[in-house]
Amino acid sequence: MADTIVLEFPSSYKWLNMIDLVCGEVSSEMGFGREALNAISICVIEACTNALEHGNKCCPEREVRAVFKRRPDRMVIEVIDCGRGFDFKEYLKHIPDPSDIHNQRGRGIYIMKQMMDSIAFEKLPGRGMKITLEKMIDGDAEKNCD
Amino acid sequence: MKLKTRDNGKVTILDLSGKLMGGTDADLLRDTIHGLIEEGRKRVVVNLADVKWVNSTGVGILITGYTTLRKNKGDLKLLNVSNKIQSILYVTKLNLIFECFTSEQDAVNSFTGT
Repeated sequence: MADTIVLEFPSSYKWLNMIDLVCGEVSSEMGFGREALNAISICVIEACTNALEHGNKCCPEREVRAVFKRRPDRMVIEVIDCGRGFDFKEYLKHIPDPSDIHNQRGRGIYIMKQMMDSIAFEKLPGRGMKITLEKMIDGDAEKNCD
Repeated sequence: MKLKTRDNGKVTILDLSGKLMGGTDADLLRDTIHGLIEEGRKRVVVNLADVKWVNSTGVGILITGYTTLRKNKGDLKLLNVSNKIQSILYVTKLNLIFECFTSEQDAVNSFTGT
């Protein structure tokens, strides 16, 4: 299996099946356990739905790019949209309590922060937002959030 | 997402299937629950056996259903929650809000006082 797999798909929910299949295949091949496989799948789908909904506003002409990178000690996933981006530094300071049933926003990033070992955001000039997710194969790495 | 409604005694079972992720899913579940409340059927079990994915928006849709029913003196409980969905509920501490069951009859029997 190649060390890097790149998929680009139109902003439609129907392509998420393909993304989940590829994600499952890559992460299984890398030897992740069941709990980690579930976590990676949940977070990749979350990142892709964020990209197509919030980044690309569900516009089919705008593509989402998902990049799966196999590293010796970790799996790295990048999800890139074509949107205008958001002030992630400010957003990360004020992630709401996910158990507050009166609040509808912010759970996605909270879930990804909790389930992955590292999560980072970057605004790409001329492209959109990139979110980078990392999962360590041993699962015991200290969590980072930039 | 697809949704089928059926009755089990005084409890309404909502059999969901597919992806619970947002878009029209929110309208479908909201409209169904509002219709049930108008009919006086406020005891609802959401069966997630055939739901492949739930994302954070989907969780928000379930919360909206729960809060709508609770405001109307009803309740919403979950049935056949997959490992993935359990993980999301656990991480967000929403497992403390939603009662989850693996048996439909246990879920139906759990309703008291609503």
